[in-house]
Amino acid sequence: MMPGPDVEAEGWQEFLGDLKQLAEAQGRADVSRLASEYLAEGEASLPDMQQQLVRLQKACEGRPAPPAALSQDPELVRDFIMESREHLQNIERSMLAIENDPNDVESIHGTFRAFHTIKGLAGFLEFAVIQEVAHEVETLLDMARNHQIELTGATVDVILASADHLNQQLNPLEKTLLGEPAPDAPEPHELLSQIRSILRGDNPAAAVEPAVEAEPESTTAEPMVTDTAVPAITLPAAPELAFPMADEPVAALPPVAKPAAPVSATTPAAPPAPPKPTAPVEIRAAETKPEAKAPAVTKAPAANAAPNASGGSMSSVKVDTGKLDYLVDMVGELVIAQSLVRHNPDLVALKNPSLMRTISQLGRITDEVQKTAMSMRMVPLETLFQKMIRLVRDLSRKAGKQIEMDIAGEDTELDRNIVEALADPLMHMVRNSIDHGIETSTQRAATDKPPVAKVKLHAAHQAGYIMITVGDDGRGMDRRKILAKARERGLVENGDNLSDNDVFNLIFEPGFSTAEQVTDISGRGVGMDVVKRQIQKLRGRIEIVSVLGKGTEFTLKVPLTLAIIDGLIVGVGEERYIVPIFAIKEMLRPTAEMISTVEGRAEIALIRGRVLPVVRLYRRFGVEPKSQDPEQSLIIIAEARGRDFCLVVDDLIGKQEVVIKSLGDGIRPVPGIAGGAILGDGRVGLILDMNGVFSADQGTYDGANRAA
Amino acid sequence: MEAMTAAASTKIPVPLAGDDRAGKYLAFQLGKEEYAIRVLKVREIIGVQEITTVPQTPDYIRGVFNLRGKVIPVVDLQRKFGFATTENNARTCIVVVEVASGGRIMLMGILVDAVSEVRNIAAGDIEDTPDFGRDVSVPYLLGVAKTKGQVNLLLDIDSALQTHEVEVLSSMAVS
Repeated sequence: MMPGPDVEAEGWQEFLGDLKQLAEAQGRADVSRLASEYLAEGEASLPDMQQQLVRLQKACEGRPAPPAALSQDPELVRDFIMESREHLQNIERSMLAIENDPNDVESIHGTFRAFHTIKGLAGFLEFAVIQEVAHEVETLLDMARNHQIELTGATVDVILASADHLNQQLNPLEKTLLGEPAPDAPEPHELLSQIRSILRGDNPAAAVEPAVEAEPESTTAEPMVTDTAVPAITLPAAPELAFPMADEPVAALPPVAKPAAPVSATTPAAPPAPPKPTAPVEIRAAETKPEAKAPAVTKAPAANAAPNASGGSMSSVKVDTGKLDYLVDMVGELVIAQSLVRHNPDLVALKNPSLMRTISQLGRITDEVQKTAMSMRMVPLETLFQKMIRLVRDLSRKAGKQIEMDIAGEDTELDRNIVEALADPLMHMVRNSIDHGIETSTQRAATDKPPVAKVKLHAAHQAGYIMITVGDDGRGMDRRKILAKARERGLVENGDNLSDNDVFNLIFEPGFSTAEQVTDISGRGVGMDVVKRQIQKLRGRIEIVSVLGKGTEFTLKVPLTLAIIDGLIVGVGEERYIVPIFAIKEMLRPTAEMISTVEGRAEIALIRGRVLPVVRLYRRFGVEPKSQDPEQSLIIIAEARGRDFCLVVDDLIGKQEVVIKSLGDGIRPVPGIAGGAILGDGRVGLILDMNGVFSADQGTYDGANRAA
Repeated sequence: MEAMTAAASTKIPVPLAGDDRAGKYLAFQLGKEEYAIRVLKVREIIGVQEITTVPQTPDYIRGVFNLRGKVIPVVDLQRKFGFATTENNARTCIVVVEVASGGRIMLMGILVDAVSEVRNIAAGDIEDTPDFGRDVSVPYLLGVAKTKGQVNLLLDIDSALQTHEVEVLSSMAVS
């Protein structure tokens, strides 16, 4: 089955002997009895021995024996990933708090507990690398809470790096879970040696003997031993036993080398050894401390992990987001159906007071249900802001600028899809603020500004939208320089009559953010077109307020949810379309002289000195309009791909909040149409996508249509 | 008979004891012809709804309609098959069918001139689609059934509604 089973068996006999002695020393008669029983069956074949050891482990832990390959159970791994991610977030938050106040005992304890839980869970599931990193950090934090080391910048860096590392370790697991090819997990060795050098009081004298591993433990206080000894008895036993003895060792092989990592990290030359060295060595380390109580040792992971898990499930339930989306969707329909009933002319004509009361009661209930359903998808911005705090911390260190965060409204809630989509734009904006907005400390000193710069990150609700402000008290944007640059690039003719907001908006032009722009204008640029596009995708807007020399503020206005939009219903001939209100800048009834043709084909409109391209929706979609005379129609000035254009429709019918629905897989995506929505009369209305309506490549789609 | 079952088993990968085309079918009229689709494919039958046309779609896609809050596309099979379209009348209705597409089930409506009845079609009543010669291809037909002296064209609704759209979607993906 595998090479040298006798050697392995001897190793385990030795281990069993050690365990028996230890159990006797600590008065665990049951464990000792089992161990001697198994020792007596020294001739037992390896698979039997494996089973026995699992039983023994069960006796040690006082809980059911885990199945052979827990890491193969997708449910458990999924829970592990989710829980670990939560803990890692908490760790990050706590560490940032600790950095501000190194005596924040509560945060140190919190971080310790979080790493400890991750360690316990990882051990349970046999993720040796995660377990080991968490274990080392835990040791570090234990020293910190016993005031043996200071949690200063470098140590905090290492702990944060460890949290990042653990997160990276989770990624391949997650990918495997999703059935995608998993990237290689990063190597922990460098990180581990960093942690260990701190553990040894920055003494780089590397320990070679595996036994030295135990040294920091022996020098530290008693509780320490409890924590570090835990995996030695309960956890590594499982992987090391399970894998060499599995009938098909191939699948299980990779982790085999990993349990040996504590040894090989300090002594890279040591071959990834058979299970023998690590476990017995650590057992002996624990054994030398008879004061460490066995029950405390063995129960630690269970006691720590259990309250955490059950505590989470008491206050919340994890629900499939698909179900949630469906619920929100259906509630949206309920609201529409309710309004159909209320406005039904026949019912209104009845003038029956009791019916009216019932209907308005129904309306109130529907409102409540809708609010609750919407709120279920809402998550606070906190985690997103947390990422930004971390980013500011890292960037400010890198850039050598002192920066203070001014955070408000992190408990503001919005749709989780939007929170996720906001991460990139916010990151770009914060990065820009630090890179380009905030001056160096010498520059700041020269302009009588406080040496510590401020980066502001505020969020607040406002009438169905959320406003997120990203600001700095840096050098501000220079209108003249931006305009000069824009003229140079041919983006504006003259531009003197442009409003400040229009001028600042030029920085969102793709390609405007060039390196020389950043230095020349001493303003912003990098990645801003990405920001703009992403915010537009969310149907949001960006406003810029900037005062030269005082600072810049970006305000993002995004809807609370992606599922519902405010729409204007417009008519073209017999058809009705929904124009998203966020895309509309202005509406007007044109005069005949406003519109003129270019080369007999394209049309342009001259509106208050601006020349805008004209799209006639009836031509674009091939429907029969009520009138081709512009004076009988309505012009909507809307924004698409960063440019304004005029959309000609017949008339305005009304305004409605609509739930966006896909037209289904049965119809291929139509350029210019974002989806459908049920209108007030129960018919389906098509929601326009302004970018698609304006798109120049409509010819190719027609071609595809005909070819089909 | 032997030749027929052999042909059937090449079409449908899991051959059953009898002809696996046998079973309950919903018969309906398209123009002057009588078609039938498997009852298991039918979600519901409703009267003609207000249909919103979707621009820039093939002409046989009549548009979309609201089925209790869901947006469902409606296909006009007569146009798709290249017949003259009959005007909507009192018996015109929409048969909502479940179509398997890329591992997912989607709902689509088909516009039919009238729904006749649900028929139990026995294996012995089913014949393979006759060979019309090279110029006539009938890829959407599972076979022809004769019941009560009537001919029913057994429609493979999955391929009738799908083949085209899959092509278009994949060509979209390339562009």
